Amino acid sequence: MKDAFGITTIGFDVAVIGAGPAGISCANSLADMGLEVVVLDEQPNPGGQIYKNIEHVSSACLNILGDDYSAGQPLIKKFRHRNPTYYPGASVWQVNSDGHIFYSKDGISKEEAAKFIVVATGAMERPVPFPGWTLPGVMSAGGANNLIKNGGLVPNGRVALAGSGPLLLLEAVHLIDMGVDIKAILETTPAIPNISSLIHLPQALGRMDLLKKGISMLQKIKKAGIPHYKGIRKLSVKGNDRVESVHALKGDDSINVDADMLFVHFGVVPNTSIYRQIGCEHEWNDIQRYWYPQSDKWGRTSLSNVFAAGDGQFVHGAVPAALKGELTALAIAADMKMIDKDERDKQAKSIENQLQNELKPRSFIDALYAPILNLLDVPKETLICRCECITMGQILDVIDEGCVDPNEVKALLRPGMGPCQGKMCGSIISEIISMRTGKKIKEVGSLNIRPPLKNIPLSEIAEIKFLA
Amino acid sequence: MFSSYETTKQTVTIILDGKPQRVPAGVSVAAAVLGTGKTHTRTSLISGEPRAPFCMMGVCYECLLEIDSRKDQQSCQVQVKEGMIINRQIRTNGEEK
Repeated sequence: MKDAFGITTIGFDVAVIGAGPAGISCANSLADMGLEVVVLDEQPNPGGQIYKNIEHVSSACLNILGDDYSAGQPLIKKFRHRNPTYYPGASVWQVNSDGHIFYSKDGISKEEAAKFIVVATGAMERPVPFPGWTLPGVMSAGGANNLIKNGGLVPNGRVALAGSGPLLLLEAVHLIDMGVDIKAILETTPAIPNISSLIHLPQALGRMDLLKKGISMLQKIKKAGIPHYKGIRKLSVKGNDRVESVHALKGDDSINVDADMLFVHFGVVPNTSIYRQIGCEHEWNDIQRYWYPQSDKWGRTSLSNVFAAGDGQFVHGAVPAALKGELTALAIAADMKMIDKDERDKQAKSIENQLQNELKPRSFIDALYAPILNLLDVPKETLICRCECITMGQILDVIDEGCVDPNEVKALLRPGMGPCQGKMCGSIISEIISMRTGKKIKEVGSLNIRPPLKNIPLSEIAEIKFLA
Repeated sequence: MFSSYETTKQTVTIILDGKPQRVPAGVSVAAAVLGTGKTHTRTSLISGEPRAPFCMMGVCYECLLEIDSRKDQQSCQVQVKEGMIINRQIRTNGEEK
């Protein structure tokens, strides 16, 4: 690498972390503008979760997954053609605000460096605890979807689905198309939409095509004759070593479903681990109840050389994620003087228009499927921290004793100290503290995130390959 | 709990818990293990209860397996390879099996 004076410098212009729609489109645009890019991604192939395995998937699965999935093909094709430096199978475990990155690949940890960092680590399904959620046979709906994309696997037993949000219903439709025996769909979303969502309906009507898609999903579920309950509470699973039955309440009526598998989905939240670890400022979204990194329209975070792109910046979906990646690329290119600010703004205009058009239904959908957590309904013996087996009762006890900081709860009881490092239970602990004490989430705060973000042996850190 | 949606053309052989198994090429190790009919990938180190892959996207760490002598690998993020030696991390009475 050479700088403007022809002096060799260490590292790349830009490091993009994550090879989903945002990371790929950002890297493609940066490469188009002549910048040296390195893309680090945990998976063996580009595509992120949404376009997982899109280069190798069978035509039968491609048919099932439809246009929203195959839309990723041109993006990945261009990425392969552009061919920026790409490290698949690389787990980033520390990012410093000075642009130094540490990652593990094939059991070896190395250092990389870049002037700018784009964190495009996407979103994850919101973990929501309920009795039996650790039993084999309970899986996230996104997990079941990934098994179709990356394993061609289809459930061969009796399936129930529970939770809320459009992705739950989309997964139901995929499973119907694959001939899966769905015994019930249990939605926490009430049958009558909340008033606050209807305020956003007129704007959503601007994208009738997307709304129609949603309506046809509901019609398909209805036509399949699957019992579909709304406004359910107190979800639980019973079974000895694996799922045997699923239970819930609708009003005072109990719902009991014999099933071998339960796929759950409670919406999608930004994966903020890296932003937190670098030290980016965060904001709280009170409708979808999640933290997201503070950023401007280019995705620039509170740290001027660190950008947030895609669903990790705010959950908008795959198509907007790719557009946001392009906006970030323009801002970095302007900072690097590859284009001037007028050119940046000119090119941004059409991207922003497309983004605005894509986001028309978003506020409506976000409000319609606002999470209903009812965490205080969760029985005391239910595991909250799956890794360290910490129960709801243990957590409530320390809260009642006056421990109202999630980091204190962690220090006392160890939730968040297992392999997942609080990725599963961290947000839940803050929610429980908030609900039990009446304090706002913003006051409660969240678990501190420290490196290493991934579990690596000490021997690997000892033998780390630093940049020369 | 899971079966293949269609007949797989290309396969690789893995050694799972000491037994050779033919699995589709290109799939994740977690998917391959579930596809062989196993219901769980490990037991909890704390409670000993069986655990199975939950998120399939690298977040939950329930899919940890020993892959080619390296323990605690996130098997949903690793692709199967010919001859890969995979052991489920099952403990009984505090002893690893």
